[in-house]
Amino acid sequence: MEYPRQITVIQAAAIITSTIIGVGVLALPYFAAGHAGTASPLITLAAILLSFFGLWFISVLGMRFRTQSIVEYSEAILGRWLAFAGNLLIILFFAALTSLAAREFGEVVITAVLKRTPLEVVVAIMLLIAMISCRKDITTFAYIHHFYLPIIVFPAIVIVALSLRNAKAINLLPIWGNANSWSNLLGGVLVVAALFQAAFIYTMVIPYMRRPERALVASSAGLAIAGGLYLSIVIAVIGVFGAEETKKLQWPTLELAKTTTLPGNVLERLDAAFLALWVTAVFSTLFSTYYFTIFAIGKLFRMRDRNMLAPFLMPLLFAFAMVPTNVLHMYQIIGQVGRLGLYLTIGYPLFLLIVAKIRRIRGNSDDQGRVARPN
Amino acid sequence: MIKGVWPGRIERLLWIGVVFPLLTGCWDRLEIEERAVVLAIGIDEVENGSEVEVPQITNESDIFAPPNNQLVRVTVQIAVPGGIPLGPGEGGGGSSGVGGGQRSIWVVDAVGNTIEGALNNLQERIAPPLFYGHLRIIIVSEAVARKGIDNLNDYFRRNPEVRRMNWMFVCKGKAIDLMKTSPQLERVPPLYLVSMMDQAVKMGRFPNDFLGLFWSASSALGKEGFLPYLSLKPQGTMEIDGMAFFVKDKMVGLTKPIEIPMYMGIMGMSPAGGQVYVQVPEMHNFVLFGGRARKSIIKSSIRDGEPHISIHTGIEGVILEKFSEGMPLDDRTIHLIERKLEHDALEGYRELIRKTQEKGSDIFGFGEIIRAKQWRYWNRHIGTEEAWREKYKTLDVDINVHIYIRRIGMKSR
Repeated sequence: MEYPRQITVIQAAAIITSTIIGVGVLALPYFAAGHAGTASPLITLAAILLSFFGLWFISVLGMRFRTQSIVEYSEAILGRWLAFAGNLLIILFFAALTSLAAREFGEVVITAVLKRTPLEVVVAIMLLIAMISCRKDITTFAYIHHFYLPIIVFPAIVIVALSLRNAKAINLLPIWGNANSWSNLLGGVLVVAALFQAAFIYTMVIPYMRRPERALVASSAGLAIAGGLYLSIVIAVIGVFGAEETKKLQWPTLELAKTTTLPGNVLERLDAAFLALWVTAVFSTLFSTYYFTIFAIGKLFRMRDRNMLAPFLMPLLFAFAMVPTNVLHMYQIIGQVGRLGLYLTIGYPLFLLIVAKIRRIRGNSDDQGRVARPN
Repeated sequence: MIKGVWPGRIERLLWIGVVFPLLTGCWDRLEIEERAVVLAIGIDEVENGSEVEVPQITNESDIFAPPNNQLVRVTVQIAVPGGIPLGPGEGGGGSSGVGGGQRSIWVVDAVGNTIEGALNNLQERIAPPLFYGHLRIIIVSEAVARKGIDNLNDYFRRNPEVRRMNWMFVCKGKAIDLMKTSPQLERVPPLYLVSMMDQAVKMGRFPNDFLGLFWSASSALGKEGFLPYLSLKPQGTMEIDGMAFFVKDKMVGLTKPIEIPMYMGIMGMSPAGGQVYVQVPEMHNFVLFGGRARKSIIKSSIRDGEPHISIHTGIEGVILEKFSEGMPLDDRTIHLIERKLEHDALEGYRELIRKTQEKGSDIFGFGEIIRAKQWRYWNRHIGTEEAWREKYKTLDVDINVHIYIRRIGMKSR
């Protein structure tokens, strides 16, 4: 069976944006301020640049091998067994990312909103919804992201814009922070960049793009929107609370929404509205990483039908989500997994690209039929 | 993907049987009349020697030993379901001539080792769960504020229901007395205080200083927090009697009420709401000056290796009242009044700054300006909050005041 290339550039950008914006947005300013103080916007910007490199490598590889995803072209570049190890790591990493996002989601919901609901239920329901959605084909995948993107982005922009009324420029100065060591700043950049790495799933999208030669344009636009939103959230939070106060808050972005009021006493706190859009954002991220995990497993083991994979994987994902013993332990694990992930999502594609150049391996870029290779 | 091995029927069953029921979130179903909505909290200390027995709910004397601190008494105002009138003319206490006070709210208090400890002891006696989502007012007695409110700040930051837009007050005497008064104007007493503060901020009589801003100021390296200082007046009224200023979490001093507009003048907070008497030089007469708008420019610099702050502040205003006839108001007199005002204001500003410097409490945030703008100096010589507190005591501050009287009202002279 053949799959038409149906995903447009705009849809591809929407996939990137809504995949990136996810559970991490709540703790993002806390991570940034903890490492860099008033230099938080600066390190966020640096992290966006760093993630851009990762996406750039992926896009360039995708344009070189237009009908293949990383699972397939890594075999062509590195040989079957070496690539197998790399792909297995990627699969494990994205499975972990899915689990941890579900768990973090659960922790926030239980702390802030549904205090008496068992954690297991919150985590399971999120995974379940993602699992059911994972049975759709990639065109539907693109539609879902495209559909949810405005729901995520526009309210977030409104909240940030409203909260900026309370911001003070002095809280953001000096922009390189007070007496930050280089290692601290660099650590901060890596931690923040880790929040962007779900964008790696782009490698799965490129083979289905109508015009894969514009993959880089789409990924840059997607990252620019998500990065811009993250940056403005960091600026708003640090501007309103100040770096020192931000360090004392577990989820400063939620706190910001709590402090922000709609003009004219329409709504006195926007945290409920913010949580609603955040749930959507978490779902779209979870959906992407879950989908990619299944996709990669299917490709790796050359399965003809991936439909049964999603339900089989769910208990494993759920079990891993239950591993952290408390919320602080969870953030410790997220930190470690995120740092390891950077090697996979930025380092590995770079390595592949270099080897492909050296070995002069090209994909079948004479793709006239506009048809992706079937499984 | 491909038409499923897994039939759509199972999927539909999953949606209806599992996803829908779980998504409703019914674990946390809590009807509005089943919760005790806390509108205000007052915090007092329990004097030594008074016979108070702490119920052993969160602790026993040996196991789960509590911190060995001063006991606190927490008083809460709980909204009585159905007691709060929803519109004008509807039920309530208004018709009987008694302010809503005692009917719409219930005032209860309990003692404990910490805030949450006391609230937990309170919960033991109140059937429905206490709910803090609508908490608007926190009143801390001066005695507690002077000992430090770290524990309090920690509790209210940690509790997800509490919002940052609350107002926190320091009160003269006992918080419980304030909690028991019921102003006649508002049928729900805590809302009276809220609207009082909202109006004060709108009229420019008090700086906007809700809980979140106080927290941010206390956390910032080069700034300290302050809170409105309330005192109980006759006829069940309350008055803002100055600003209680803090060092970290401890109240260290109190300004006079007149120093509130002084503070706002230094910070250039508009609109201006303060009013002052001016004795017009040369003529033995007084006028009452009312501010309308303020603006200030605060600049920092390093002079001879020491930080320096220079403030240019301007106030625009009008003449509200003249003490007696016999002094024509003309352009020359207006300028005389302006000069005199500038002189007096300068004295006032200096005095306020000196007062806070004495305690090392930089409520103006000059340290933040140094940290942001003179970061080289800050990194090398200051770096910490404590160091700034010391430095602030000897900080050199220059003030220039410009007063402009623009209008004199409907009377011609």
